[in-house]
Amino acid sequence: MEMLNIEHLTKLFPLKKKLFSRDQQYVHAVDDISFKIEKGKILGLVGESGCGKTTTAKLLVRLLKPTSGKIYIGGEDIAGLKEENLKKFRKNIQMIFQDPYESLNPRLTIHSTIAEPLIAQGLYNLEKIHDALEVVGLKPPEGFLYRYPHELSGGQRQRVAIARALVIDPIFVVADEPTSMLDVSIRAGVLNLMLALRKSFDLTVLFVTHDLAVARYMCDDIAVMHNGKIVETGNAEEVIRNPKHSYTKALLSAVPIPDPRAKRERIRIRGKVV
Amino acid sequence: MKKIENKKASQIRQIWALVRKSTFIKLGVSIMILFGIMAVFSPIWIHINPEVYDPIIGADPNVHGSVGPSLQHPLGTDDIGKDLFSQLLRGSQVAFMLGMMVSVFSTIIGAAIGLIAGYYGKIWDTLLMRLADIILTLPRLPLLIVISGIFGTQSNWIILLILSLTFWPIISRVIRAQTLSLRERPFIESARVSGVGNTRIIVKHLAPNVLPIAFYYLTVTVTGAILVEAGLSFLGFGDPSNMSWGMMLQWCFVKGYVFKAPYWMIPPGLCISLLAFSFYLIGVGLEEMVNPRLKKR
Ligand SMILES: Nc1ncnc2c1ncn2[C@@H]1O[C@H](COP(=O)(O)OP(=O)(O)O)[C@@H](O)[C@H]1O
Ligand SMILES: [Mg+2]
Repeated sequence: MEMLNIEHLTKLFPLKKKLFSRDQQYVHAVDDISFKIEKGKILGLVGESGCGKTTTAKLLVRLLKPTSGKIYIGGEDIAGLKEENLKKFRKNIQMIFQDPYESLNPRLTIHSTIAEPLIAQGLYNLEKIHDALEVVGLKPPEGFLYRYPHELSGGQRQRVAIARALVIDPIFVVADEPTSMLDVSIRAGVLNLMLALRKSFDLTVLFVTHDLAVARYMCDDIAVMHNGKIVETGNAEEVIRNPKHSYTKALLSAVPIPDPRAKRERIRIRGKVV
Repeated sequence: MKKIENKKASQIRQIWALVRKSTFIKLGVSIMILFGIMAVFSPIWIHINPEVYDPIIGADPNVHGSVGPSLQHPLGTDDIGKDLFSQLLRGSQVAFMLGMMVSVFSTIIGAAIGLIAGYYGKIWDTLLMRLADIILTLPRLPLLIVISGIFGTQSNWIILLILSLTFWPIISRVIRAQTLSLRERPFIESARVSGVGNTRIIVKHLAPNVLPIAFYYLTVTVTGAILVEAGLSFLGFGDPSNMSWGMMLQWCFVKGYVFKAPYWMIPPGLCISLLAFSFYLIGVGLEEMVNPRLKKR
């Protein structure tokens, strides 16, 4: 059964009118896209910068209101819901933002930040916050609870953001390029954490990335986005091995995707030389 | 719970450490404390000999015409034998009270309105900012005359009311602009995804982040309020049942002693400038402190 079902989702942003021009022009940030995510799967939304990935992510968590289209989550269409009616659904769907230096309020302690969704749902419980910190590898939790974001590294901040997203046990998580702002050296740690959590929390995930190698590592399926449209969807391995659409081919040729086995060999050879 | 309190205490200690490092703030606060002492000393000084030293009803019967500083009258007297030092002390009290109250009121009103206009936008923004524009275009002096006319008297309370009502629009404009840019920041978006409601977003996420600027404008407003009060008093629109530095200047001017009695003219002028300057210094220091980007990196 699909957890998430997107039908003909469209988002237009009005452009500034030109002087004396009569008709309003629009940016077609998301242009009639449809896809499904099965329960417990990770769908990678891949495409180059500016193709509409973040807009899609924000539509799904209803930070933005769709111009048209449907967003079915567990069978319920949330595309047209007003802010007042969204509260119940906010418990089930969370987002991890791209830049952990921007997504945490600098004036709130880690404790207050992670407490937010719990307080909003009337479920505050210090133990849950402890657990969430432990689960994302910030141990011991007491050492982090009353610190401020600026006292943490980028990787630790993103872990806090993940803890906040998971503390109320959501069923669906949108992650918008969660490692693109992090040092290369700590990316793998955060990615592996997300894979582990996805298993233990039985999460359904939309994983946004511009990096095909990351998508291959993280995702079950891939949807390739180009100019606001989805041009190709399929099993991650299939799409990368055997791309059908010319845009996907172009993307792949621009960034060679290292085969994990080939990589190991290269390392071994270097080892011999040294 | 205990941990949270400890953290709050250490936060205050951190702020205090920062304050101590800022030369601007240290200088500003020192000057302010000086005037604070003057304000506190005012009733003590009057108590020595109320009949002579009371700044409103007292006068020295042995003095004829304005005389210069002496042991009995450290700053001399005015033309009818009133003690100028006593007037200066009372002026410090009035300037402090008025300046502080005006700035606190107008900052609270201005911050609340700026936050609401900036966060909710649309019709709220239009209505509130039009109101701010209208008030900004109203000239204070005629307004004061009209309102005094309505109440039938001039008192410091009316001055307080008018200054508060005319100062908030400046602050609300600044806070609104700040709110507009904060509203788009990812940490506000992530709060919304967390299910945080509008009121809590304003109170918990926006307000603390505009607080430093609000605080900065609070100090600027004190400076403005002190100067405007002095100006109003000088023009004869002060509270006749009280005494202020502006009124001292006014009397000195009206009685024709501007060039004859520097001991009458200079101290209140100096006090006005110094107290206003001290708040300005604190404002500059605060701005530097709460805007770490100005300092670090
Ligand atoms: N709030 C907005 N107003 C107007 N245009 C926007 C807005 N947000 C995004 N866009 C435009 O929509 C397009 C897609 O942006 P985005 O979803 O951020 O792309 P991506 O995340 O894939 O880099 C871009 O052309 C961008 O300029
Ligand atoms: Mg993006």
